[in-house]
Amino acid sequence: MLAGLRAIIGAERVCDGGAAVDGVVPRWSAAPATIEQVAALVALAYDEGLVVVPRGGGTALELGHPPARVDLVVEMRRLDAVLEYQPEDLTVTVQAGCTAGALAARLAAHRQLLPLDPPGWAGRSLGGLAATQATGPLRQRYGGMRDLLLGVRFAQADGVLTWGGAKVVKSVSGYDVPKLMVGALGTLGVLLELTLRLHPAPDYEATWLASFRTPAHAQDCVASLLDSTVQPNRIELLDERALAACGLPASAAALAIAIGTVEPAVRAQEGVVKTIARGAQGSVETMGTSFWRTYDRVLAGFDGVVLRIGTVPARLMAMLGAVQAVLPGAAVAGAAGVGALHALVTHADAGVLGAALERLRASVGEVGGGVIVERAPRAVRERLDPWGPVPAPALQAMRALKHEFDPRGVLNPGRFVGGL
Amino acid sequence: MPVSASVIAGLQRLLGAAGVVLTPEGRLTYESDMLTLYKAAPDAVVLPTSTAQVQAIVRLCREARVPIVPRGSGTGLIGGATAPQGGVMVSMTRMTQILELDLANRCATVQPGLINLWLTNAVRDRGWFFAPDPSSQMVSSIGGNVATNAGGPHCLKYGITTNHVLGLEIVTGTGDVVSVGGKAADRPGYDLTGTIVGNEGTFGLVTAITVRLLHAPEAVKTALASFASLVEASEAVSAIIAAGIIPAALEMLDDAMIGAVNAAVGKVYPDGAGAVLLIELDGPRAEVEAQAERVAAICRERQALVVTVARDEAERALLWKGRKEAAGAVGRITAAYLLQDAVVPRSKLPQIMREMVAISRRYDLLFANVFHAGDGNLHPLICYDDRKPGELERAQQANEELLHACIALGGSVSGEHGIGMDKAKNLPLQYGEADLNFMFRLRRVFDPDGLMNPAKLLPSHPACGEGFRPSRPTLPAGTWV
Repeated sequence: MLAGLRAIIGAERVCDGGAAVDGVVPRWSAAPATIEQVAALVALAYDEGLVVVPRGGGTALELGHPPARVDLVVEMRRLDAVLEYQPEDLTVTVQAGCTAGALAARLAAHRQLLPLDPPGWAGRSLGGLAATQATGPLRQRYGGMRDLLLGVRFAQADGVLTWGGAKVVKSVSGYDVPKLMVGALGTLGVLLELTLRLHPAPDYEATWLASFRTPAHAQDCVASLLDSTVQPNRIELLDERALAACGLPASAAALAIAIGTVEPAVRAQEGVVKTIARGAQGSVETMGTSFWRTYDRVLAGFDGVVLRIGTVPARLMAMLGAVQAVLPGAAVAGAAGVGALHALVTHADAGVLGAALERLRASVGEVGGGVIVERAPRAVRERLDPWGPVPAPALQAMRALKHEFDPRGVLNPGRFVGGL
Repeated sequence: MPVSASVIAGLQRLLGAAGVVLTPEGRLTYESDMLTLYKAAPDAVVLPTSTAQVQAIVRLCREARVPIVPRGSGTGLIGGATAPQGGVMVSMTRMTQILELDLANRCATVQPGLINLWLTNAVRDRGWFFAPDPSSQMVSSIGGNVATNAGGPHCLKYGITTNHVLGLEIVTGTGDVVSVGGKAADRPGYDLTGTIVGNEGTFGLVTAITVRLLHAPEAVKTALASFASLVEASEAVSAIIAAGIIPAALEMLDDAMIGAVNAAVGKVYPDGAGAVLLIELDGPRAEVEAQAERVAAICRERQALVVTVARDEAERALLWKGRKEAAGAVGRITAAYLLQDAVVPRSKLPQIMREMVAISRRYDLLFANVFHAGDGNLHPLICYDDRKPGELERAQQANEELLHACIALGGSVSGEHGIGMDKAKNLPLQYGEADLNFMFRLRRVFDPDGLMNPAKLLPSHPACGEGFRPSRPTLPAGTWV
């Protein structure tokens, strides 16, 4: 087999073993330099019944069920090129191994940005961000990867190179295959190239921290912001533990609110933001833009258990209460305006966490949300379901998709929802 | 194959006699969407009022292997709501309820037959709106918008239908009711919502839709700039986007269209211009003011003949009136036309405009343009006289040539109308066999029997189940040692 792999990409680019994936040392690791090499590797794996795990930045390998077996890790780090960048079109096509930070540096020269800022975004590969549907504060204004991915090239389970979507900002030609690939954890195809929608970078951005006496006041402030003409880029909720972790003044809950546009419009909206925050009995202070770097570093640097909570803006206070009730001491932070929160849990064994997940999932289940274990030690994830329940008819459809596109279980098998 | 008497009787039992249209003259109303090149009446039209009824219809038809064609308001432009294989058409016009308004969570859940504009009307007095605004929004249904992933003038800034759909309930081709997505931010699993939007009824019948609502902007400013030619106007469009300004809408009309509009609704656009740009900015007032100044300066730098800014709502409405009634006004200049929907990268607009002028001359046909210039989405109306022998064929050839030119520039076959019967044959321009094969199999997952809106969206509907045969990667010799 090693000879076969070597024949495809050269002896120096493939080795026995390699870095462990979620505690499992692979049989082989390969670092292809072209998408055709990836396709040939996947085709070989398909024929030989191997399990393939694509690896981007390696920052999200603990997402999902622990793998039972890893035969071949396909390292994407050499596939890191920016293939096409036409600033006038506000689109870019990159290889999946390109990091968000490397792309940002290219775009900054043209005052453009890819508005995706999940924790640790700069070092993460764009293919990985697509596969995990990771989002950050900028989701408030720009949506997530699903709203930014226009086209995608991937290798199907049998190695056939396939393209879906388009390279233009508006296209409804055929099915929306990019949507199917976003958040699929590489279980339907190995992502190779992404065409992304870009946005102009704001001329000027300012950030304020509004601190509140209770989470209820913070929620009222979010509601008033959403029901106003103010257009924030980010509205992040930080509970008192998250504030402490960022080295910020203590309060029961705070909102970090950023507005980015031309400077006069930032100034004009600042007044409205302050009025709204004070209307919810909050106190407002201006933050430096370095706040967002600190915030990113704190979230990315946290090495405990991380839960991703999907709820709605009107349930923020209830969610904070629910987390404190079952996981005392956990820090909660996230995009308040869309209801996408993170809970950072320092001490939790599988038993405590399992019981907590059950309660939290019941709570968000009322609004159709979910709680995903984004990161936890393998020993913990072995004893609970990191994804949570999916309603039976939807899970049946997902199972049918996996069966159609990966019948032999080549692509990251067993790790996704329902053990797909 | 006509629908059997027992299926008809079953439908009547389900829906009552008034819920099933069987007469030839009744069915005639349902023979086409607004692209009347494709006409085929269904054997029966059913008018369900609930998800349960829709599911029962699908199960009944599936058992008898009867094709099912969904229909919203019938305002599509692609030959989508038409029944080339006969069968049962499911009209959603009795499912028009707003099931839930939840402004605190910025969303609403509606039935598929609800007219697009009615949703905005229901929340406008509280300062909210539903962003997707196809030109047909006064009559088109949200279910139809979801089926085609409809766009509209303001999707330049706000995105197309899929960017505003949070969740769906669908009765799939297997007769299962599947709820996907919802109002909460994230949930585990594949993004079935995003995968289903734009399926043109080939996966099943969408029976409920949860959509994002947005708060209306503080200020709106609409400006008109006229240019000597299409090419100069196109260069101004590229310059505006390159300056980092994404207007809410950026629409272009050419001289043929300006003449038609002015003749139809009074002189709303300046005579003698080769093209006009309709530019709308919205957002916080100070942002809109600053951007409007910059846009006006860019237009002047690009040799605009006249730049005017609407001073009040009445003037703004007048500028839009011409745009909104453009398609109707075309009747004044031509008896018949073909409508393109191709897209080019926006930096390629000046180039494609030059090619379009050349194609128009070569085929000796009038092209009238009214389109979403900001995102490079072309809508040339290729005018022809259907009484002159061979002129339709000439128009079709010109249409194909322009489409090829758009794809050669890196574009797309359809920007917002969809594929239907009309453009299915063109998909291979944009996609290889492997890509089409993937889409074919995706369809089969939701509709294994091939009964949902057959003969639409994909270039063929292979009953054999094989579809397109992609080639597998060539492996170096010795790989299997």
